[in-house]
Amino acid sequence: MNEDGTLVRLEGIHKWFDTLHVLRGIDQKIVPQEVVVLIGPSGSGKSTLLRTINVLEEPTEGKVFFDGMDLTDIRTNLNEARTHMGMVFQQFNLFPHLTATENITLALIKVLKLSKQEALERAHSQLRHVGLSDKTDSYPSQLSGGQQQRVAIARSLAMRPKLMLFDEVTSALDPELVGEVLNVMQELAAEGMTMVVVTHEMGFAREVGTRLLFMDEGIIVEEGDPTHVLTNPEHARTQSFLSQVL
Amino acid sequence: MVVTTPEALSPPDRGIRWFLSNQTSWSRAVLASGIAVLVFYIVGVISVLTSFGWSGTCPEGVTRLECSPSDPLAEGLKSDGLGLVARIALVVGLLIIAAAVASWRRMPNKSAREAVISGGVLAVQAVALAGFLLWFRGTDIDRFARNFLNISLIGQKTGIAWDTVSGSMGSVAGLMATWAAVTAALVGVYAWLRKAGLRLVVYSTLIAAGAGLLWGLIRLASVPSFVKGAQNTLVLSAAGAALGFSLGLLLAVFAMSNRAVVRAPARIYINFFRGTPLIWQIMFAGVGFVPALRLDLDMYTIAILVLGLNLAAYSSEVYRAGIQSLERGQIEASRTLGLSYFQSMRYVIVPQAIRRVIPPLLNEFVILIKDTSLVSVLGLTVAQKELLGIGRDIYSSSFDATAWLGAAAGYLIITLPMIGVVTIVERRLRSGLTSVIG
Repeated sequence: MNEDGTLVRLEGIHKWFDTLHVLRGIDQKIVPQEVVVLIGPSGSGKSTLLRTINVLEEPTEGKVFFDGMDLTDIRTNLNEARTHMGMVFQQFNLFPHLTATENITLALIKVLKLSKQEALERAHSQLRHVGLSDKTDSYPSQLSGGQQQRVAIARSLAMRPKLMLFDEVTSALDPELVGEVLNVMQELAAEGMTMVVVTHEMGFAREVGTRLLFMDEGIIVEEGDPTHVLTNPEHARTQSFLSQVL
Repeated sequence: MVVTTPEALSPPDRGIRWFLSNQTSWSRAVLASGIAVLVFYIVGVISVLTSFGWSGTCPEGVTRLECSPSDPLAEGLKSDGLGLVARIALVVGLLIIAAAVASWRRMPNKSAREAVISGGVLAVQAVALAGFLLWFRGTDIDRFARNFLNISLIGQKTGIAWDTVSGSMGSVAGLMATWAAVTAALVGVYAWLRKAGLRLVVYSTLIAAGAGLLWGLIRLASVPSFVKGAQNTLVLSAAGAALGFSLGLLLAVFAMSNRAVVRAPARIYINFFRGTPLIWQIMFAGVGFVPALRLDLDMYTIAILVLGLNLAAYSSEVYRAGIQSLERGQIEASRTLGLSYFQSMRYVIVPQAIRRVIPPLLNEFVILIKDTSLVSVLGLTVAQKELLGIGRDIYSSSFDATAWLGAAAGYLIITLPMIGVVTIVERRLRSGLTSVIG
């Protein structure tokens, strides 16, 4: 935790891609056990903001504090810091040459230096947790999109992270497979995991989110209790966005 | 209304039997005649030439102007029988082509149309071959045959005395057994560790035994000979490939670095070796660089080094393309799990990229096999010469250009199986299997 009791603190984050100003000054604090939901039109910078939290995108200006570390300080060991932050992607990004189990054990063995036995046990219990104990030796190509995404979640959870980042994890799934992934995320939230979720699933945002951020053109336009923001948006841009997606 | 799902059916036969059952009597006749005329031509030419003999013997001490072992072949080529075969094939072939051209559009179904077209195309091939032969018979066949068609020369210069081989079979069998045993042990341990199937062990042991047999025979060959030349071609290309493929991977990683200071030397190296001719590199190293610096390297080593350094430049571009063809998400997912850049390369990126680059790398290897011919510009000793060098030596001493055919045959015997391997590997990779073996 940071000295002020937050898990993540973003200070004055700006990001430019060439001349494109994608993030235009973001200040945010995320405390443990929060489920922060990020919504907004495409191109609003929500994925970029999520990716600055684990410094997949290095902010052009500003500072990212995570768990007492300044991730934007060049001397911070990012590899070590990232072991405490899981991330799940829209395109799953499982390693296709490894089985479901090997996808999970790779980082456990090579990064956390667990023994092979410990890693296997952790992988299998994590796969059981996401309801895939019968798929331990399957390759990603043998799994459905929903199953792949659950393996990806299990892969991140096996690292025992303090924070989970979800980047539109249901957007690439067939509608009938969205539910199984959302259920896993809902359980995770119920267990008290701190989460930041970029999503278009407004039902999920309302039911699971503890705080909702609406982003547009690189700034956070409106934030607050999800149910409140979704039913009574104050800002005109939030209103017009919600009228299109709800 | 209740809708019941119809039972899943096996797909209808669209194979050769279906194809044949769709033919009309006309389409069947055109296809059969096309096949017949080509077979008639090939079998006819071979039988006429065989009846005269492919090579003969000349009395000792007779010059090639008076008698050549290729004389029977020249007689066969000039014979009336061969002329008749060619003329029949030409006329019949033209008739079939005319029939096919006139009728292919009127066939009632696709199978019949394909049969008529195939019959016509086969006839075109027969006509082309027959026309070439008739033109060829009009040239100075005697002189051509004495210069290029002395097939007995290739047999004499293979370097293996087949009638005495049986006496050395013990050492060949020993080599075979050693190679097979070592391979079985190594692959067996690998298969046991990785829980791979027994099939892998059996196949690789059989391949090792076959390679041992070949190598044992190759070792029996005398110097200079085509077999010795093939051995040197194989050694030069295998050693060059080992150096080039490993150095190439390292270069590729450097060339993709985010740091310009790491990237620049790699790019300069790659562009230098891709931008200058290989023959210049071999000459510069062998005739200029190494002697000028008084380095204690023999020409054979220099040849291997230059071939390897050159291949490294080309293969690094292949590796780079393979690595960059992977989705960005792979390295992102890997870094997100806390793996370092080099761990991500080692465990996530390179294992996937290798599978994608195996076919193009094998192609580079086939190119390397042929490029070994360029080392003949170096002054290699007789025992070090590769196929083209051997061919040139035999030509110089015998003034018989058949030597060049022998060298070409040697290259084909080596490269055709390699090209076959490339095709099989490509098909397996395309069929969705993620792994090449197993």
